[in-house]
Amino acid sequence: MKKRTVTSAILGIVSMTLFAFAPALNKLTSIKTHIKFFSTTTAENIEAHNYKSVSTIDPKTGDVVFSVPMQSFEFENALMQKHYNSPKFLDTKKFPKAKLIAKFTNLNEVNFEKDGTYSTHVKGTLELHGKTNSITEKATITVTGTTIKVNSKFKITLADYDVAFEKGKPSTNIAKTVEVTVEAEYKSEN
Amino acid sequence: MVMTKKRILKISLIVIGSALLIGGSVAYYMFNMPHRDVQKAKTDYTLKSSDIVNEYLSNADLANEKYLDSEGDSKIIEVTGTIYEISEDFINNKVLILKSVADKAGVSCTFSTETNSNTSKLKIGDEVTVKGVIRSGASFDSDLGMYEDVIMEKCDVVSNK
Repeated sequence: MKKRTVTSAILGIVSMTLFAFAPALNKLTSIKTHIKFFSTTTAENIEAHNYKSVSTIDPKTGDVVFSVPMQSFEFENALMQKHYNSPKFLDTKKFPKAKLIAKFTNLNEVNFEKDGTYSTHVKGTLELHGKTNSITEKATITVTGTTIKVNSKFKITLADYDVAFEKGKPSTNIAKTVEVTVEAEYKSEN
Repeated sequence: MVMTKKRILKISLIVIGSALLIGGSVAYYMFNMPHRDVQKAKTDYTLKSSDIVNEYLSNADLANEKYLDSEGDSKIIEVTGTIYEISEDFINNKVLILKSVADKAGVSCTFSTETNSNTSKLKIGDEVTVKGVIRSGASFDSDLGMYEDVIMEKCDVVSNK
């Protein structure tokens, strides 16, 4: 009886120690990212791609951050790219980065250490062109071994960020609301 | 010499015709203007990775004023540094991070379809000079909780010691 108590006590201590030292998932960092802007009007479709954003996810808190270098958006048309960067539109010299600061609100439904596809809700703020607005969007987290991918697609209204096209060609050729597609790949070390 | 009606008409037509042709060509050129060829363009600044990182960390506003262009045609720089990391982006372009161990941030250089193969013999620890266009500077980002690198794109290797 006494022996059994001692054994179970030892087992208890060992398992608690193991549990305490179980490797908690560290903060995930990604420099492999892709953000796409897509605008569609009857006049034309315009898209731009950016592969230089940096993102982090804290699996413990659900915090997700994207820092987007605005001058890295590439358009097919060089003149359009100049317009996009200029002080009249996104003013990328004055506002070189856009930033998304958000949280996965249903973190309890995501297991970063188990393969699968998880539908998540993201709530936070987006700072663009010096203006900050709150956003609530959906995202998908895909876990495959040590690779974690995040995908999301949402719409932003340019006027909310003081990006307005009042007259001229851009006002008819650029949609008032543009679609933003986000993808990022993170590696967990465990 | 007396200007006949016919003569006036002829001259007017030539003038209007040339104006339309020139205007049309300029508009056509503007609309189809090619992207700047970064590798063929003149280098604006030649420096070490530590220099530009520290320039940004000490005063980002001054550095942005110096390196960034308001229409996105920012400065073309040649940066020499030690390769800290080699990876690929989503469209399989090579990404070299030049960073010295003592520095808080580095320079992240993305190559292009035309230049990716020039990185094939490079390995971590090599010293290399890379030419490209700067897109943004280095800074500590408290939301990310980390230092962000200087960003360069359309890069190619200039020399490899």
